[in-house]
Amino acid sequence: MVRIENASLSFDGVEALRGVSLHVPRGVLLGLMGPLGCGKTTLCRVACGLESLDTGQVLFDGVDITTVGPAERRRAYRRCGMQFQNDALFEHKSVLENVGYPLERLTEQSAAEIRGRAMERIAMVGLFGTENRLPNELSGGQRRRVAVARACVTDPELLLCDDPTAGLDPVTSRRILDMIAGIRYQARNTVVVISSDVLGLMSVSEQIGLLWDGKLVAHGGPAALWQDSQPKVRRFLDDAQLPLGGGF
Amino acid sequence: MALSEGIAKLGSVFLAASAQTGGAAVLLCSVAKRLVPPRFDREELRRCLLSMGYQSLGIILATAFVVGIILVLQAYVFIDRYGLRSQLGWGAGFVTIRELGPVLFALMFSGRVGAYTAAELGTMQVTDQVDGLRCLAIDPISYLVVPRVLAMIVSLVCLTIIGNTMALLSASLVGDVLLEVEQHTFWGALLERLTPWDYLTSVLKAGLFGGIIAVTSCYYGLSTSGGAPGVGRSVNASVVASAVAIFVVDFFSTFVAG
Ligand SMILES: Nc1ncnc2c1ncn2[C@@H]1O[C@H](COP(=O)(O)OP(=O)(O)OP(=O)(O)O)[C@@H](O)[C@H]1O
Ligand SMILES: [Mg+2]
Repeated sequence: MVRIENASLSFDGVEALRGVSLHVPRGVLLGLMGPLGCGKTTLCRVACGLESLDTGQVLFDGVDITTVGPAERRRAYRRCGMQFQNDALFEHKSVLENVGYPLERLTEQSAAEIRGRAMERIAMVGLFGTENRLPNELSGGQRRRVAVARACVTDPELLLCDDPTAGLDPVTSRRILDMIAGIRYQARNTVVVISSDVLGLMSVSEQIGLLWDGKLVAHGGPAALWQDSQPKVRRFLDDAQLPLGGGF
Repeated sequence: MALSEGIAKLGSVFLAASAQTGGAAVLLCSVAKRLVPPRFDREELRRCLLSMGYQSLGIILATAFVVGIILVLQAYVFIDRYGLRSQLGWGAGFVTIRELGPVLFALMFSGRVGAYTAAELGTMQVTDQVDGLRCLAIDPISYLVVPRVLAMIVSLVCLTIIGNTMALLSASLVGDVLLEVEQHTFWGALLERLTPWDYLTSVLKAGLFGGIIAVTSCYYGLSTSGGAPGVGRSVNASVVASAVAIFVVDFFSTFVAG
């Protein structure tokens, strides 16, 4: 589905990605993890064509979307759904309008169909009853869930979730990850999820990618990752297994 | 040492200003490209016209009212000394329509609408809403910038015409009360001596200033980085740059239009 090859990108001298190659096959749920600031968000943005690379390419079903014209790139955008790390909800639209907006822009459905579909997704993320509120009347966790609902409402071929569990309690966090896995199961799409809930991510993903300082240091099934003996992987996993709140 | 530092600083300010002017010019070109054939969001245009034009009416009318009064109070001394009462309408009309109206209303408009736009787009930029639009295959320029540019040009032209009228009304009233210049003398002199070109200059300037404010505020809004403090910086830069650009363009247009 998406193949990123030798991607490097730096912002004003800060190297966010250094030669990352990653293949996400169709229909796979890939969990992406790594320490703070290791380039997870940047990699996701690269995958859907929001960032231009310094070197390397992003192949979307074999088409390099970093070199195509704006029309072709828009076509690629249509196939992606992205949930941004800071939600990116449209503040002057209600929850229902936010979730329905991608359908309104990207599909030919009637207003009633859009409403029904959006309500279904809102209910699915457990926000039934808040559909007429504005984003600034929601809690952080509720906003996050609206963002997930909006990203997946069109059942995009590639769904990218940038830290849907950030700042949530462990139970809600696990529930959100299960919900994303459920969406993937229903829509049979390809999903990339970034999360700092390592154990939760391990339990829902078929593949795990571990980024470290702009490099992909491990990529494979969760079981293989547990066995990995690289010092960086061991350190990351050992830190992640600390009992909650025991990291201080 | 201090001198070379000063020169270096001056140079970097100049470079930054050039880069920003260039950036705004590029934005202007991309806006122009989306106007033929027209590709922009009409719903957003309607929303902008309402919030930028209609809702600025109050502040422009208030400004205009005061401007008219001040104009007559300032002219009072000269009018009285040289016995030019019959020409009060012409003087007030000429100054208001050609110069004071367009510039003052543009500055008010920039403070209200330009600052708001820079803050709005800046917030959208730093909270990834602009990228969110891109991900929905929506071109941010067609969706956000073009409607704002059109709305600001149309709004400022209309507001300037309305504001000029209001300023002249208050000037004629104060002239009547204070200088005993009768209404028909005031309006007679004004209508007789002002040429169509004077009115046209006013409208052209207003349109030009509206475009300047729009492109500047959208440019600074969309190039915001660095979270909430970045939004503050963008608003600040946008208002300052708009004001400078308005004065510079006003100088040259007055020079050219005579
Ligand atoms: N727009 C930008 N301008 C400058 N530097 C950036 C920008 N975006 C990212 N970076 C830098 O690139 C590196 C990777 O950033 P990225 O946001 O991808 O990290 P992340 O893994 O998502 O972190 P987190 O877990 O905190 O979300 C960081 O060092 C960051 O400082
Ligand atoms: Mg991130």
